[in-house]
Amino acid sequence: MSEHVGWAGRPRRLRRLDAGLSLLDRQILDRDGRLSGKVDDLELTPPEGDGSGPPVVTAILSGPGALARRLRGSVGAWLESVHSRLHPSAEPGPARIPFGVVKEIAATVGLSVRKDDLELSRFEDWTRDHIIGRIPGARHAPE
Amino acid sequence: MKRFVAVTLGILTAIGGFVDIGDLVANAEVGARFGFDLAWVVGVGVIGICVFAEMAGRVAAVSTRPVFDLVRERLGARAALANLLASSFVNFLTLAAEVAGIALALELASSVSYLLWIPFTSLAVWLVIWRVRFETMERIFGLAGLSLVAFAVGFWRLGPDWGSVFHSVSHPVVPSGEGHATYLFYAVSLFGAAMTPYEVFFFSSGAVEERWTTDDLNVNRANVLIGFPLGGILSLSIMGTTALVLLPRGITVDNLAQVALPTVLALGKLGLAFLLIGFFAATFGAALETALSSGYIISQFFGWQWGKMVRPVDAPRFHAVVLVSLVLGAMLVLTSVDPIKVTEYSLVLSALALPLTYFPILVIANDPDYMHGRTNGRVANALGSIFLIIVLVASAAAIPLMIVTKAGQ
Repeated sequence: MSEHVGWAGRPRRLRRLDAGLSLLDRQILDRDGRLSGKVDDLELTPPEGDGSGPPVVTAILSGPGALARRLRGSVGAWLESVHSRLHPSAEPGPARIPFGVVKEIAATVGLSVRKDDLELSRFEDWTRDHIIGRIPGARHAPE
Repeated sequence: MKRFVAVTLGILTAIGGFVDIGDLVANAEVGARFGFDLAWVVGVGVIGICVFAEMAGRVAAVSTRPVFDLVRERLGARAALANLLASSFVNFLTLAAEVAGIALALELASSVSYLLWIPFTSLAVWLVIWRVRFETMERIFGLAGLSLVAFAVGFWRLGPDWGSVFHSVSHPVVPSGEGHATYLFYAVSLFGAAMTPYEVFFFSSGAVEERWTTDDLNVNRANVLIGFPLGGILSLSIMGTTALVLLPRGITVDNLAQVALPTVLALGKLGLAFLLIGFFAATFGAALETALSSGYIISQFFGWQWGKMVRPVDAPRFHAVVLVSLVLGAMLVLTSVDPIKVTEYSLVLSALALPLTYFPILVIANDPDYMHGRTNGRVANALGSIFLIIVLVASAAAIPLMIVTKAGQ
């Protein structure tokens, strides 16, 4: 992960970032500034064409599926098994956020889409629909 | 008035750290056993928490990143998870003890057993978190907690010989009849109480809840410099009253009534009234602080939406963590386990986890990417480095001292 990646988020000026230091484990914010998970891992793909040269970051991987692989060991294996058991599909991979929707990399990673459009929020939706949303007052901001 | 209430975040944070149920009793116990010979530790602890809380508040104001975001970013997923597990465990034990602590304060006022109060106190804590705005919450419990100033008034009214008090504070010795290991064990516990990590979790998350910006750096400094020294003074006053009244008579402290005894002796019924309000507010405030902190750190580790600034349906996992912690905490203390013992052990465990929290704060406070020209100055870095070393020593010594002294017996 310590590979240096050039990133053209600001067209006028290319910045050089250390992916391990400036991307990994950062907070993701969606278009409306809502907290939308962490950069738990990165998807690296060999460059197009002859496949030579450094790999390219093609997606942010987020959520328990991605975190489990980072953690490794028994804790990682446990998290992975929980993730795959609760997931509707038979062999779920980690949730992917294509790198094209990343619009800013600073103290946080900003996206150009809404968090509901990402495949990240199943656990959040479940908690909302089955527990928190059923308690009176859940839809009002505290007074 | 507006200026004054702007510092209630610091006051509430410090009350939860310095005079929660475990510390109320621990401070009184230390005073009754060691007199003024451990007072210096509180002073050292106050400076330490001021240094790191100022950094954490500054990072939160400039970058809107609370402490556990920094922990995750600088330690990586694995070490941050270790910190999360340790800190959540300490948080949980403290929360359970505070829920019982509120009930103990009500028992003192009503003579109804604290076990009967626990379902109501835990429900009340949850209702405040569910319905009351962050600023309102921190003002009510921060300001009501100030009635513990009765301890300081009581200490003054007991008429200590100030010369000899200053002498024993500045020339600490291990009292005869106490071993060196026991003395060090209590020193580590007091230091751990002053620097408990949930203070910086709560303080920095509170700063984000209140939407501090770079314009609020003065508010941050005022919160830190008023809140934590005030907590330290309350803590020392408790120690002082029991050192003057209980130590010469050979009385040791193990419950809340004995904590109040010397001050009530000095101030009478009015003093007792103030202490009862103060006990209630301080334990309630500490319960809010630890319950919210459990939600804050777990959410911040995973990147979930957190906080009271949004509707509960918009932060469902955060509220679920808070709710589950409160229910489990209430169940733990309903087993009639001694809540004060619970916090004493949790203090030592928290000393163990300190470096994993304070190291990332020091690193990020120096990172220009986050701080936009507001990085640490030389003084903050010098003090930060010194205290990081002290924190490491305390952390390494905590468990061996606990075993050698059988937790201070």
